[in-house]
Amino acid sequence: MKVLDRFPTSETDLVARLKAGDEEAAHEFFDRYAARIRRFIANSLGTASAEAEDVLQETFIALADALPFFRGDSSLFTFACAIAHRKVLSLIRTNARRASLMRTAPVAEIVTQRETGTNREFNRALGEIRPEYREVLILKYVEEIQVSEIARILRIGEHAVESRLARARKALRKSLKE
Amino acid sequence: MDTQTNETEFAARMKSAIEPARGLDNRELRNAFTARLKQVAARPDVVPIEFDGQRIEMRRGGTLLGAAMKNGVRLMHVCGARTLCATCRVVVESGEDNLTPMRGTEKFSLRWHLSVSPRTRLACQARVNGPVEVESVFPLCGELPNG
Repeated sequence: MKVLDRFPTSETDLVARLKAGDEEAAHEFFDRYAARIRRFIANSLGTASAEAEDVLQETFIALADALPFFRGDSSLFTFACAIAHRKVLSLIRTNARRASLMRTAPVAEIVTQRETGTNREFNRALGEIRPEYREVLILKYVEEIQVSEIARILRIGEHAVESRLARARKALRKSLKE
Repeated sequence: MDTQTNETEFAARMKSAIEPARGLDNRELRNAFTARLKQVAARPDVVPIEFDGQRIEMRRGGTLLGAAMKNGVRLMHVCGARTLCATCRVVVESGEDNLTPMRGTEKFSLRWHLSVSPRTRLACQARVNGPVEVESVFPLCGELPNG
């Protein structure tokens, strides 16, 4: 069973209830998306999980503040990812030292516990590529978000997303030495 | 191997390597989110602001410039609200905490125009969350010698 099947409420209805400050809707939203948002943040950061928790917290608070302005022209998850993306960027920009660590830190210990040989190698390679490449790969192949929605999250054009994806795949293959 | 197969194979490898997102058991964050959401929902949608002594009402979250233009306060904005000219800059007399924090582009513009002070803001960038009182730095369009 898919995770989303457990939540029968339509997204439009959920948004309306969230805007009205409904407690149950807030819980439903959290249960539906928090884990995926956390995974996106952890993968984008590729660094210690404590930082991912901090960014997650900031994201949810900013999300609560921004929800009244959500016009519904993207999915709620895209909207949340866009906020998370900006929080991640902000962390990268304000801390140059962390940024340099991000480029080298392996993501394996955060994102996977399935330590088979191939996965370990894949995660090592994923940890070595640039954060923006890692982020776009996660959005496209793990979160399965459409290119148009990724463009909204990253605030770039669809063609730029396509070319970034191509560069990211190439970088990952190079890192895997394929 | 064709491109489609490559893509599918790539997606499968990514998925198998990344741990699936399982339920997040963080009650503290869930409660903080719920409380914030309730707090935000309880705020009124329309907020009163004072622009050069003129009292106007605006939608929460809108920019000062937008509110001014909608209410007939002809605030100058030569660059078309793109943070370049800083002709829409205003001095915040009270309620600066009710404006959204200054972002990099706004800071850069104000620094460029030698107007950095905690009370100076660009009306095209500052969004309003609560009552605020501002004074325009430049004369309003109607007040210029040539109209």
